[in-house]
Amino acid sequence: MAKTIMIVDDSASLRQVVSMALEDAGYAVVEASDGKDALGKLDSHKINLIICDVNMPVMDGITFVKELKKLPNHKFTPVIMLTTETQDAKKQEGQAAGAKAWVIKPFQPAQMLQAVSKLILP
Amino acid sequence: MNLDQALATYIAESRDLLGEMEDRLLHLEQDPLDGDAINALFRAVHTIKGSAGLFGLDYVVVFTHVVEHALDKVREGELTFDAELIAVMLSCRDHIDALIEHVSACGTVVPEGELPARGEALLDQLRQRLLTQASAGLPVDAESHRTAEVESCGREVSGDNWHISVRFGQDSLRNGMDPISFIRYLGTLGEVVSIVTLFENLPSFKDIDPEACYLGFEMSFKSAADKETIAGTFDFVRQDSLVRILPPHSKLSDYLSLIQMQDPASDPKLGDILVNCGTLTRQELHDALAFQQRTAADTEDHVAPPLGEILVGHRLVAEEAVNAALQKQQQIRENKARENLYIRVLADKLDHLINLVGELVIAGASANLLARRQGDKGLQEATSRVTHLVEDIRDQALQLRMVEIGDTFNRFRRVVRDVSLELGKEIELQIDGAETELDKTVVEQIGDPLLHLVRNAIDHGIEPATVRIAAGKPAKGTVSLNAYHDSGSIIIEVADDGGGLNRDKILKRAIERGIVTPEQNLDDRDIYNLIFEPGFSTVDQVTNLSGRGVGMDVVKRNITALSGSVELDSQLGAGSVVSIRLPLTLAIIDGFLVGVGGSFYVVPLDMVVECLELSAEERKSALERNYINLRGEVLPFLRLRDLFRENGKAGRRENIVVVQFSGRKAGFMVDELLGEFQTVIKPLGKLFVNLQGISGSTILGGGEVALILDVPALLQMAANKEMQVTAPFARAVATL
Amino acid sequence: MEALFELHGNVHTLRVKGDMTIYTAEALKTHLLNALCVSNTLEIDLSAVEEMDSAGMQLLVVVKREAQRLGKKLSLVQHSPATMRVLDLFNMSAYFGDPVIITARQA
Repeated sequence: MAKTIMIVDDSASLRQVVSMALEDAGYAVVEASDGKDALGKLDSHKINLIICDVNMPVMDGITFVKELKKLPNHKFTPVIMLTTETQDAKKQEGQAAGAKAWVIKPFQPAQMLQAVSKLILP
Repeated sequence: MNLDQALATYIAESRDLLGEMEDRLLHLEQDPLDGDAINALFRAVHTIKGSAGLFGLDYVVVFTHVVEHALDKVREGELTFDAELIAVMLSCRDHIDALIEHVSACGTVVPEGELPARGEALLDQLRQRLLTQASAGLPVDAESHRTAEVESCGREVSGDNWHISVRFGQDSLRNGMDPISFIRYLGTLGEVVSIVTLFENLPSFKDIDPEACYLGFEMSFKSAADKETIAGTFDFVRQDSLVRILPPHSKLSDYLSLIQMQDPASDPKLGDILVNCGTLTRQELHDALAFQQRTAADTEDHVAPPLGEILVGHRLVAEEAVNAALQKQQQIRENKARENLYIRVLADKLDHLINLVGELVIAGASANLLARRQGDKGLQEATSRVTHLVEDIRDQALQLRMVEIGDTFNRFRRVVRDVSLELGKEIELQIDGAETELDKTVVEQIGDPLLHLVRNAIDHGIEPATVRIAAGKPAKGTVSLNAYHDSGSIIIEVADDGGGLNRDKILKRAIERGIVTPEQNLDDRDIYNLIFEPGFSTVDQVTNLSGRGVGMDVVKRNITALSGSVELDSQLGAGSVVSIRLPLTLAIIDGFLVGVGGSFYVVPLDMVVECLELSAEERKSALERNYINLRGEVLPFLRLRDLFRENGKAGRRENIVVVQFSGRKAGFMVDELLGEFQTVIKPLGKLFVNLQGISGSTILGGGEVALILDVPALLQMAANKEMQVTAPFARAVATL
Repeated sequence: MEALFELHGNVHTLRVKGDMTIYTAEALKTHLLNALCVSNTLEIDLSAVEEMDSAGMQLLVVVKREAQRLGKKLSLVQHSPATMRVLDLFNMSAYFGDPVIITARQA
């Protein structure tokens, strides 16, 4: 069964590009537009990995990770945070919350695939 | 430094490197497996390419990239140098040269037309070569070479694989970082050949936290990826885990040679050297430095262990690599220290300095003269001390302009190679006296005449192999270039072991051309030197080497323009030697000052043998003929008074200055001997270009002008005059 | 995850169904601890294990070691493909020393 990845980002175009790249590589993808949306969709799929932007409306990435870590059935899901180079403080915060992997924006789809495949292969 | 200056430096640097490339390629033609030469070649192209990138010279990068790639394959033993590859590489070198010339003229403007077309054609040849040899597999030589390299590295523990040790942090699993993922990911970069799972940290069943990670792994990993990529696998767990990656042994020797090859601009740091060669990642270096700082803070005297020790102790880098890097660091520092002893100076500035020193010499002489006239002892002492210092400064200043002739000689290796290939002759160039120094100006201007002489030696001198073998000589001909100092001059010889000159043929031709008359009494040497006369050529067969528009007469003219002379000696069947005699410098000479009538003349001191005062009797007999008896030897002489039509009143005494030049002796009859004198040569204006017997002028301390005698020309005159008397029927060749 | 504990003759069998992952690790630990307590010869049946991660594998190592310490017999039987993959990846089959039978269905 294909591994499923959830991509959480408020930019629909980013989600689209990442989804296409991941699906082409053989992953299944679930999209969410912010942290709250993501939390709501967790139980409807078996999610193997979450890609999550830091800055989002409604619920930001850091808060989402903190919430995720409280859920017994999802708390060990690996999270790749999307940060920008200027957000080093955010990166630290994210890591402290338990999101140890990160990809720096802007990125090429190939870079994202590489980061994902270190954590799970399709 | 602005970009233009940097670009100028780049161009100069590239030209040096291109020179080196040529040398190395020619050397590799003889010894195709010389690792040093191959590395040097690679480095040269690599440097040219690397810096081209900085200046945005993409067209240089594109071309050099493929050349570099091919050379890399040679280094790795996948491609070997043979005659064909050498030829292609030499053409590539020439093309890079052309590209650099283009950079010099047009900067980053992309060249159009023939130049890129030629480059593309060369690249095609290279690519073709890369394809064919790659499919043919490794040549045997290269294979054995490689094994030797691995063995030389000592122990061979885990074959040719990377060794990866990982101890995962306890939180890894809770963070979603499962070792399984990373090991699977490694599988996409290469092959995990063997793996040992370690659970020595695993607590007892009762104490275990089942969500914590206690695992560690030792892996043998086969991969062509670089260390940065392999280490990248563990980026997300690096913070809490311990990761050590040791390169395979073949990689280690790569690192060692990469360390050897590095050429950092400034004082290099150990860590940088290791990171640059790929054995250490930036992150590892960062962590090791942080550890070093922490350790320093923890110890009482704040002395941290050396970085190398930490790196080896933490198994980040093999000890061999650290040692090699340390050695390299030392070497670079030493080179740096040596480099600092040199500065590049604009030639113009140097010329200006030497001009000033020249003026200083004259001003010093003037002060000396005045001091002597004043009769003030103290002043005389002071000026004589100044004179000594000025002399030293003059010597030092002239030394600045002296360069070794070796570089000029080495350029001819290529000429000899190309021309002999073209003519189908096998010829070796032998170089002696490459370290002989001479004035930069002279070196610059001697190139063309030498080129012609070398071509001539190959084309007309060395016989075809069949003729040589028939004559009992080795099939391979030798052309030799030699330089040495001889009494204030430098002698450059171009010799060949060819057929030599045919005396009778030359004489016949010279008579046909009206250069000499059949009646003239000429010795062999005179006849040989007739080939330097304008409009002389003995070639029966016109090759495409002739017709360059430069004849031997032009060679002679060029050399004469440098105040030099050229002579040819030859032996039929054994070869010829052309000797060029040049002054060491064109700027200042030590002269011998003489007075004739009311005027002053300077004889270059190194040509003066002795001075004689003529007795009344000798003077009387000398009036009737143009020679004197010098201790039983016939010495022809010239009366400078008559020669230069001096009208001033003759002195009470007359003196003879005996001069010698290239084996000939003669005397100059003068009124007064005024002694040694340092003099700065001022070239005569265009007006005086046809004035024979004078090579330049100088200004004396008192402001008078003195003419510098052209001794070789005068010697020729004296010889001719002597001939007029002793052989009255011979026609005079030269008249004033 | 479910664990069925059965006795056949004097051999106890713990049949694990579902995932042996970090999410089930606490519960699995309890099951294994209890099973080992009462058995002298324990077989862990892995045929119904759908997924195993490092946490699951770690627990198997720890229980094996504990059994050895106590002088009890513990073996892994009926490896499912999911467990086989992990044991192979870690090169741990030899450690457990159990015959691995791949049935036609699993292959």
